[in-house]
Amino acid sequence: MRRAHRSIHRLVWPILALAVMLGVVTALALRAPPEEPTQEARP
Amino acid sequence: MSAGFRAVQWNRKKLIYDAIVLAGVAIFLAAFLAVGTWIKPPQNPAEAIDLRIRAFGSCAFTMLTLILAIGPLARLDRRLLPLLYNRRHFGVMTFLVASLHVWFMLDWYITLGALPSLAEELTRWPDYARFIGFPFKTLGIVAFMVLFLMAATSHDFWLVMLTPKAWKALHMAVYGAYGLVVMHVALGIMQTDRTPLIPLMLFGGFGAVAALHLVAGFRERDRGTAVRDGWIVVGPPRAIPDQAALIVAAPGGERIAVFRDGRQIGALTNLCAHQNGPLGEGRIIDGYVTCPWHGYQYRLADGCAPAPFTEKLETHRVRIRDGIVEVDPRPLPPGTPAAVMCDKASL
Repeated sequence: MRRAHRSIHRLVWPILALAVMLGVVTALALRAPPEEPTQEARP
Repeated sequence: MSAGFRAVQWNRKKLIYDAIVLAGVAIFLAAFLAVGTWIKPPQNPAEAIDLRIRAFGSCAFTMLTLILAIGPLARLDRRLLPLLYNRRHFGVMTFLVASLHVWFMLDWYITLGALPSLAEELTRWPDYARFIGFPFKTLGIVAFMVLFLMAATSHDFWLVMLTPKAWKALHMAVYGAYGLVVMHVALGIMQTDRTPLIPLMLFGGFGAVAALHLVAGFRERDRGTAVRDGWIVVGPPRAIPDQAALIVAAPGGERIAVFRDGRQIGALTNLCAHQNGPLGEGRIIDGYVTCPWHGYQYRLADGCAPAPFTEKLETHRVRIRDGIVEVDPRPLPPGTPAAVMCDKASL
């Protein structure tokens, strides 16, 4: 792996990691409040 | 272009490695299914299948997390290198576990006679513009396809066929697949199941992988490279650990591994010919420079693999001036002898 590839890798993966982390936090914050289990849950 | 097929070379260590991974998978699944049944016994076949979907999904996620942690762990502590050597087997097993997760998901729809609703769920295009409500199964399917491609091309035949560079690029897609899997869980089961274990698993797994890569990357930061008359200044011979290497960076790009074996000093490209592994993180074993990833070996004198192997590495000219080792950043053709001997007094 050339240094240029390493530089791109080092730049891209923290952005990807931050995006995923932000996605998980947002998904956790926005999830609907618990409901009574009236319907069969889907997998 | 052609590439010969060689059967997988099994040895005792590989068999032990695979047996341990298989036992770990069996224990994980048995424990998950037992605890899940104990906490909430399935009331019908669909609920029983749902538990299996979760068990195999959690197992595949855990395995993928471990696979991505092995690389930085082995760079941080060489004693963990054996984990790295057979990582491909671990990866193929992860794909098989993920396949069963997918199979049980299909089985769930078949059992309920609702298979058409799966297609409808995946093609409800307006949902792709939403965040909560995004068809999370699509994320899982894309990640599964990446795992399939990786498992299908895991044999060395494909490594030769595709060339190490293309093969490596393909297999780096595992990081993207891992991100997709995390979001598949976050937008899927985490939205309906309130157990804190799911966010804990996501943050713990993803956080651990990210932290390990950060720590390993921090330790690997480029060392400051001084250049004198166009040659890279490495330092006195004794600064290079015996039977190991210092990694220096050429001004324009490539990293160079400067090894010392007693009085002999040689410089090779830092890229192993097998999978572009970091050769300079390896050691000299049995008189040969040995890659830490899969044990490929090369002569320090000329970068050639010992017979019957035919791999050759680019070498770099080395000189000792005023008691300081210097390396020419311009590579020599693969297999060119270029190592030098230093004085006993300089060690």
